Amino acid sequence: MAGLGPTFGRGAMTNDWIDLKNSDVIFVFGANPASNHPASFSWITVARAHGAKLVVVDPAYTRSAAVADVYAPIRPGTNIAFLGGLINYALQNQLYPSEYLKAYTNALTLINPAYQGPAELDGLFAGFNAETKAYAGATWQYQIEKIQVKVKDAAGNAITKEVSVPKQAAALDEPNTVFSILKRHYARYTPALVERVCGTPQEKFLEVARTFCATGAPDQSGTILYAMGQTQHTVGTQNVRAMAILQLILGNIGIPGGGVNALRGESNVQGSTDMALLFGDLPGYLGAPTDRHADLQTYAAKFDATSYWVNGPRFVVNLLKAWYGDAAKKENNYAYDYLPKTSGNYSWIPLFQAMRAGKIKGLFCMGMNPAVSGPNARMERLALANLDWLVVMDLFETETASFWKAPGVDPQTIQTEVFALPALDAMEKEGSIVTSGRRIQWRPRVAAGPGDAKSDIWILNRLANALKAVYAHSTDPKDRPILDLNWVYGDDPDPDVWLVAREINGYALDDVKDATGKVLLEKGALLPAFATIASAANFDAIACGNWLYAGYFAPADDGRGIWRPAARRRGQKDPGDLGLFPYWGYTWPANRHILYNRASARPDGAPWSENKKLIWWDAATKKWTGYDVPDFVATKAPDAKADPAGAGLATQAGTDAFIMKADGKGWLFAPTGLADGPLPEHYEPLESPVQNALSGCQCNPVVKVWNTDKDKAIGDHIGVCEQYPVICTTFRLGEHWQAGAMSRTLPWLAEIQPELFVLLGPDLARARGIANGDQVKVRSARGEIQAVAMISARLKALIVDGKPVHLVRIPWHWGWQGLATGACVNDLSPHVGDGNTMIPEYKAFLVDVRKA
Amino acid sequence: MLIDETRCTGCRACQVACKQWNDLPAETTRNRGTYTNPPALSANTWSLIEFKEIETRGQIGFYFLRRACMHCEHPACASACLVGALHKTAEGPVLYDDHKCIGCRYCMIACPFGIPTFDWNKGLLDQPLIRKCVFCADRVQNGLTPACAKACPSRVILFGGRDELIAEGEARIRQSPGRYVNRIYGKAEAGGTSVLYLSSIPFEQLGLPRLDSAPVTVLSEWVMRYTLPFAAAWGAALTGLALLVRWRNRGKPKRPSSKEAA
Amino acid sequence: MRKLTRRQFLQVSAAVSSSLLLPGAVQASDGEKLALHKKIGETATICPYCSCGCGLVIATDEKGHVVNVEGDPENPINRGALCPKAISVRQLSNSPLRLAKVMYRAPGATQWEAKSWEWALEQIARRAQETRDASFVRTVKVGDKDVPVNRTEGVAFIGGAANNNEDCYLATKLMRALGLVYVEHQARL
Repeated sequence: MAGLGPTFGRGAMTNDWIDLKNSDVIFVFGANPASNHPASFSWITVARAHGAKLVVVDPAYTRSAAVADVYAPIRPGTNIAFLGGLINYALQNQLYPSEYLKAYTNALTLINPAYQGPAELDGLFAGFNAETKAYAGATWQYQIEKIQVKVKDAAGNAITKEVSVPKQAAALDEPNTVFSILKRHYARYTPALVERVCGTPQEKFLEVARTFCATGAPDQSGTILYAMGQTQHTVGTQNVRAMAILQLILGNIGIPGGGVNALRGESNVQGSTDMALLFGDLPGYLGAPTDRHADLQTYAAKFDATSYWVNGPRFVVNLLKAWYGDAAKKENNYAYDYLPKTSGNYSWIPLFQAMRAGKIKGLFCMGMNPAVSGPNARMERLALANLDWLVVMDLFETETASFWKAPGVDPQTIQTEVFALPALDAMEKEGSIVTSGRRIQWRPRVAAGPGDAKSDIWILNRLANALKAVYAHSTDPKDRPILDLNWVYGDDPDPDVWLVAREINGYALDDVKDATGKVLLEKGALLPAFATIASAANFDAIACGNWLYAGYFAPADDGRGIWRPAARRRGQKDPGDLGLFPYWGYTWPANRHILYNRASARPDGAPWSENKKLIWWDAATKKWTGYDVPDFVATKAPDAKADPAGAGLATQAGTDAFIMKADGKGWLFAPTGLADGPLPEHYEPLESPVQNALSGCQCNPVVKVWNTDKDKAIGDHIGVCEQYPVICTTFRLGEHWQAGAMSRTLPWLAEIQPELFVLLGPDLARARGIANGDQVKVRSARGEIQAVAMISARLKALIVDGKPVHLVRIPWHWGWQGLATGACVNDLSPHVGDGNTMIPEYKAFLVDVRKA
Repeated sequence: MLIDETRCTGCRACQVACKQWNDLPAETTRNRGTYTNPPALSANTWSLIEFKEIETRGQIGFYFLRRACMHCEHPACASACLVGALHKTAEGPVLYDDHKCIGCRYCMIACPFGIPTFDWNKGLLDQPLIRKCVFCADRVQNGLTPACAKACPSRVILFGGRDELIAEGEARIRQSPGRYVNRIYGKAEAGGTSVLYLSSIPFEQLGLPRLDSAPVTVLSEWVMRYTLPFAAAWGAALTGLALLVRWRNRGKPKRPSSKEAA
Repeated sequence: MRKLTRRQFLQVSAAVSSSLLLPGAVQASDGEKLALHKKIGETATICPYCSCGCGLVIATDEKGHVVNVEGDPENPINRGALCPKAISVRQLSNSPLRLAKVMYRAPGATQWEAKSWEWALEQIARRAQETRDASFVRTVKVGDKDVPVNRTEGVAFIGGAANNNEDCYLATKLMRALGLVYVEHQARL
């Protein structure tokens, strides 16, 4: 969730599912939890029974909208215009808690006076290079004050050092403050503009604005629930940023019932991301080293020295100890050279472009089905045919495993060798997963799997051993990372998942001591928390596969005096009756349930209100206390002063609630971390039927378009609205899941949602002569599919800039395998992604529809 | 059982939970331009969510009627049954006895809600039976809630004693008068039912029949007098219809494959 | 391409639910307490579908086949409630469509062949070795300096977002040890 990281410091859901019950206004925008996260409605229902309002903004009147108190339609791809309108509404009507804003956000921070934004530069931010399609963000930076501080050097001598600290204004409205830039930037986002761009009637927009912005009051909290409706756009990261900014302005971050809550689509997408199955990361968000990080010292220097990330270099050493064991020594920079270094972007879309270009020859595919789920899936299936070999580990013969016999494909023309390895499902193997709310829960093995099917760790274990065997006699230094790989998990007959858990959790390779020589952790013991790493003098005596998971498998009390691995706890205690359930499983980081919870208290340490109290400063014990574990230094007083001469959190004051940010503030304005600007600005989707009404900059200027099939009628390119006038959004159903392998194969789910359909409005159906239940064809610049027409008044044409714009909505779960079969809808979607994350633009692209 | 339709989001956990607990197989279905599937209650589908889109004054509404046996206080099906195969139990469920049922289908005619269904897939000689929701009587008698009520994530289905449920329903209406129609469906309808509904729109619009408070058993007893001559003809008609439908379905095209679509 | 006929569909349906005979109607017998027609289950686990993390209680027969699935009433997230996917998880573990053998498809072949694990793992390791060795990059020039990068751009890994943390961790570790930089998964999509 790349928009949350730059704003708050961590890219994760801020609150939790159960916490929804503490909310006064639940704003569902870009998600459909009634369909896709039904358990959430348990808590939404409780909140509503207590008088909370449910607000849903969505192009379609969804199952979530069906029970909403306020519903507003919106054109797909215009979320920033809507959210910008809400930000403007809150600012113009002074609905923000200024005390919160001043203390916890960078509202008072001064920006370079040379900064110019879209209001001045017709949609662009200062520093754009049209040739490289990239920004040099030099003028987006904080004004810096250089101050002299006295520190001790390595030898212990007092020396004077110059440090830079960001300049702060005294009042919000001073020129060049983040606050005044924000106000100026969003002044253009008036209700009239929202209607013109989004197609949302003004009175509907204002009803949403009045309802949600009321949560700016100190005794109210509002939450935003979002999913792929925000992220799957060329401006996806900035969509998320816009929600995060709105929530900071309303003081909704850090409090019960507040937050920006990413509803993750898969059972362990948080965990798989934590474990860095993404090219740019290492476990625990350490960031993958690039060719700019020639050695460990250069790499270590990339971590903020003025936030909790000051410990980043330690966590890397712990990781290298876990991965390379005895081969990771201080003398060889802990085998840092073994880590592969990136040069550029290796994300999904470039990956498949490289495969199509014949550069990637082998592919491991573990529990995934890109033949259905990838953007421009038809093209991605063609790319698979360029592989020499493909290894698929899955429960079923997925469309990816069988791409060589896809409809219309002659297998004899495909030279790819395919290995389909039968895997066990979640009930048939043991291990942990983490909820969207960061709660890690352990799953035992509860059922038997079919035939020769094996668990993923069994497969990976055997594969690792086979690779070690084929390289066993190599003396080439390039093969040392394989031969030195610390890989001892047993094999009798299965590897021991508890040993894997132990390594992820972290354990002491030797007695771990603090600076005074006191033993913090005895040799062999499991790491109870990552704080031990931070306070250890010999931190390289710890092997830890993922610092964020430190403590998840260490023995912990379940609230009844029963000690068991933390993630396996089933304790029922719920202090404060807020639904935190701290003794159930283990929530990262460090069992903190509501992130940035320092902000749940006033700057002076007292709760904002009695009914939203979470943690508070206890002057008697000089500690933060309350219901949740403080996401803060537990002994740092509210009036503690920043010490610019110090390191890490010492440089932050008692009101710096965002400990992962270099300045401890929530970033309304993001001077760094984003490729497409410090503030979210509305741009049209790459394929749009209208001109950008806000500026002359039509779409996100930094987006990369490959367009490799310019000359073909159907291929990898971009369509125009003269040919494809209808906006298409792909979506998910409650009855199916993802690419369908785990749902279209199940009779009960195939029964209730048997066939692929296209949802379209009655006016579009009339115009195209389509009757309910007819077979229709939908075509884009990438491909064509056939499906059943489902005509519904739940999806209406919107009036955009005075003209009607038609929409269709297609669930993307189908493929040719399984019980419920149908066309692959992603044959239609474009191979373009967000300017920051490269998440594909699945939610707004152009098609045409006609009767089959 | 109190079903608060104002909370329902049509997730169909209840529908599938019913199949899961009762081990009912899936039917082969098609998309007919609606989410409702299977199309109707059947021998293998005892609980069904019907999706309804209702537009009032330009405002669209999306409603999800849960259809299953109402477990009437005075069940018409039981009084219509020639052999006493159906009867109301003390805990509420209206149950039937396979060994007594002769497959006459009078209960189907008698039920004002159109709930009992006939096992059409069986031949007449295989002793086809009447099928319907049994209120998970085995669960209820063992202190558990029915499978549908337990599964419901949105807290739509509340299971409990009828009097307490009526009190709870009335309390909800009092608390949020704007959210509810000022009435509990099933409190009086058909002499009272064990399944009660709350709704934000008129119950008739939701698809529940308008009934007065007289038990329908009065009606069914009247029907009984004309039963024998009528039954033979009706049974023959229904059987004929079923055979006709089966014969006609034989030539129906299969669902489209993506090959045709590509 | 697999195209299921109506008959096959019914067979699959029947196979999945035949773990117990259809119970038929419940005996209507006042006074005598009905027995549960199957066990509820005692083993708690977590649902594999969305990210709510609902608790499940699973009952299995003596062969380890799932015969009942319901919500875990102790799990604070769902307190016994579930959605239709979670309930249908019973048919996932019992599905006759599951891959039960290692399958291999040779270049240009029109069919799968069943193979042993030993054979497949050795073949895969050899393919990985060949492709890695042929595409391995030891250093790149950054400015005038040779920076060790130790990577291969010839092999990629993609994964799902429903695998366990421990699965993902081992995948990350192994793939990076091989020098892969094309490491991506469902979270990107």
